[in-house]
Amino acid sequence: MSGSLLLQSVILGLLLGGLYALLAAGLTLYFGVMRVVMIAHSAFLILAAYLAWWFQRETGLDPLLSLVVTVPLFFVVGFVMQRLLLARLRPATLTMMSVLLTFAIALTIEGLLGYVFSGTQRRIQLDYSGSSLEVFGANIAVVKLIAFGLAAVALLGLWALMKLTRFGQALRATIQHPEAARLLGINTDRIAGFGFGLGLATAAIGGTALSLDSTIYPSLHWHWIGPLMAIIVIGGLGSIPGAAIAAMLLGVSQSLLQVPLGTTWAQTVFYIALFATLMVRPQGFFGGRLAQRF
Amino acid sequence: MASDAPAPEYLLELKDVEAGYGRAALVLRGLTVQVPPSSIVCLVGPNGAGKSTVLKVASGMLTPRSGSIRVNGVDVTRNGPQDMIRSGLSHVLQGHSVFKEMTVAENVGLGAYTVRDKALIAERTDFVKTLFPVVADRWTALAGALSGGQQKQVEFARSLMVSPQVVLLDEPSMGLDPKTTSKVFEQVVRMRDAGIAVLLVEQNARRALETADIGCVLDLGKVHITGPASELLADPQLAELYLGGRPAAVPTT
Repeated sequence: MSGSLLLQSVILGLLLGGLYALLAAGLTLYFGVMRVVMIAHSAFLILAAYLAWWFQRETGLDPLLSLVVTVPLFFVVGFVMQRLLLARLRPATLTMMSVLLTFAIALTIEGLLGYVFSGTQRRIQLDYSGSSLEVFGANIAVVKLIAFGLAAVALLGLWALMKLTRFGQALRATIQHPEAARLLGINTDRIAGFGFGLGLATAAIGGTALSLDSTIYPSLHWHWIGPLMAIIVIGGLGSIPGAAIAAMLLGVSQSLLQVPLGTTWAQTVFYIALFATLMVRPQGFFGGRLAQRF
Repeated sequence: MASDAPAPEYLLELKDVEAGYGRAALVLRGLTVQVPPSSIVCLVGPNGAGKSTVLKVASGMLTPRSGSIRVNGVDVTRNGPQDMIRSGLSHVLQGHSVFKEMTVAENVGLGAYTVRDKALIAERTDFVKTLFPVVADRWTALAGALSGGQQKQVEFARSLMVSPQVVLLDEPSMGLDPKTTSKVFEQVVRMRDAGIAVLLVEQNARRALETADIGCVLDLGKVHITGPASELLADPQLAELYLGGRPAAVPTT
């Protein structure tokens, strides 16, 4: 592998890792707030990508502008979904039942996308779709940089929200000790709903970023959920920094392995890392001290 | 302290309370507990007597099926946790309930979640820092990194941020060694001396009664005996039944 190819792979891996990190942060939020395994996260990701594509096709405006609508929309949908569906699951079997429930939601979204937009593969064509930057001989597509920037800004915003605001403190308190939080007067039910809304908002941002340089089709979400689940287990369930670190590492590994192995086999890195984690350190590599921290 | 309206005799009064979980049998069967101002009232009794349930009812986590709860003479029977805080109650859970991955400062700050007045929050922060020096010393540390006894003090400090009239303490000595337990009980006395009434539930009955002003012996969801804690401690029959053996030495006062 030549030096510039190596550099290119690492950069592309980091850019992809940023998107993984944002989406994994969302998954981690659902799990932290209410021990929910949200299979439909990536279906919402693809839904947001479709909305961005549709918005661009209908209005001719930049797909990034669709965020103005999709982020608040997804936040509200997440809140309503948590309040009306997930909060009604029996606490004793919540985690397991949440898999079934969100699996059904994922299938519903996939079916609706197929029905409304057909199974045809779609791709956004932009003026800047083809442009790229050259960094030390490595070619980096501008759209990938924009997608990464979007993910990074969103993650930073999420961090600031969790760390610096009263709501973020209440959310972290609810994750760490729900009963104590309730006794301090925190409305933990509502906070959990907002937490879910935030998680889904990451899917909206991620989907828009994804739409910039990916070909999308209704069943694409199945390619995403596996790696994302692997990332949050490796990072330590409930740990947002853990998920971000795991996302970056695996993004780079995947990108590097693509050169000798091809795209399909490179994806197996997630599952190999998952198996290794479960054998060596089932609590995840950052699940100890970093867990639940932001 | 003379005012026109007579001050209610009790800051917190649970009267003939019946309560239970779901459709299961009642845990509290006509329980009456009264907490006068500036006193430590201690509930003792065997496992399953309903001690923790009393606190859950008082803090609005569990709604009683019948009976009444009054804080400062005002009926608050149907209030949820948020309203109970506003009416002057604060509840410290058993075991460790600090937010471990947050700093001591953040923990204490969250104690004032329902308080909007910035000046009042600053005033309360100074108050709890003075009352619990360890809180001030470890202000920027992660709460989970503190020892068990220190975490308890952070929990106490957190519960005092809302300027409660009565603090409900559920088994503050749970999981602590005897030396740390003594230290924690010292802090409970300091809370009382600062003018806060305490309703205390303890497994470690003898130790708790030594600290308390008033003792209530609870069994099968009812208070069987209420009296000055020192008298309960001195009663050989009670000691036999609930305090694990005869009193070691009866104080002659």
